Amino acid sequence: MPAFTEPLIKGFRKSISLLWLLVKIIVPVSCVVALLDFYGIVDRIAIIFTPAMSLFGLPGEAAISLLLGFLVNIYAAMGAITAITLTPQQITILAVIIGICHELPVETIICRYTGLSIPVSIALRLTTAIAAGIMLNLIYTLVLGG
Amino acid sequence: MDIINLIFNTAVQTLLSIGKIALILIPVLMVIELAKFYKIIERFTGKMKGLLSFLTLPEEAAFPLLAGIFFGIVLGSALIIDYAREGILRRRDLLLIGIFLSISHSVVEDTFIFAVFGANPAVLIVTRTILAIIITRTAAWLFDQFLKYKAAATTDKDETVETVRK
Repeated sequence: MPAFTEPLIKGFRKSISLLWLLVKIIVPVSCVVALLDFYGIVDRIAIIFTPAMSLFGLPGEAAISLLLGFLVNIYAAMGAITAITLTPQQITILAVIIGICHELPVETIICRYTGLSIPVSIALRLTTAIAAGIMLNLIYTLVLGG
Repeated sequence: MDIINLIFNTAVQTLLSIGKIALILIPVLMVIELAKFYKIIERFTGKMKGLLSFLTLPEEAAFPLLAGIFFGIVLGSALIIDYAREGILRRRDLLLIGIFLSISHSVVEDTFIFAVFGANPAVLIVTRTILAIIITRTAAWLFDQFLKYKAAATTDKDETVETVRK
């Protein structure tokens, strides 16, 4: 058996366990969000967050995806995205925000080992993510004309 | 019945999009494991000199930084902890790597997953990398100013102690 089969098998196994993790997170999250939508709760949350979300050029519903991304992980955020309709630009902006700031409860603890304290880490990532979202929205609307 | 239908349809839709992810994720993770196996990252560490000197980081920082950027914050941090124990990197350098990685990590996997859902991968990678560089450089400057200030303050104190003794 050639030497490179071992990492290939390892990669395959890893992807299967990651996919199983995705199924366990995304499927329940998207079902719960669909239910919340059915009972009109998504609309209520959306109304509250519409002004804040408009800074990023996103609809109020996107707040659910952002919150899930910040508190749980990227996959939960993606689960919430499947339940709402967004343009490719909006998905990109949302992805940049969540890409910078996600899974805070877990990752900030990991980052602490580098000497970055938890409050500093949270503040750094939140402000960077918000700034990036506003900036990208401005670039999209001003430079590319929406 | 409506609710059961709704849940069923959502679950099927979501499973289909996870199926799409699988088509990309499986080969990507296999390539990442191959890259680890053949120590591809080590080959790139030499080519990082420009970026590292801009970030005011030593050459030893290249490996944990690259590992974190490509393979994720857990592996990056594990390497950082290892480097810290062995005293290879200063506390200041560890902190700066932590700041860089907290903004930009596992760019391959994250970007692929977002791209499957329709995000523009180039915009994602470029924005995160540029922001990480700018913020890390700024933090380096602030941190060095703080250290200078602290050093100045302690020498002042020593002088006052000496004058009091006199």
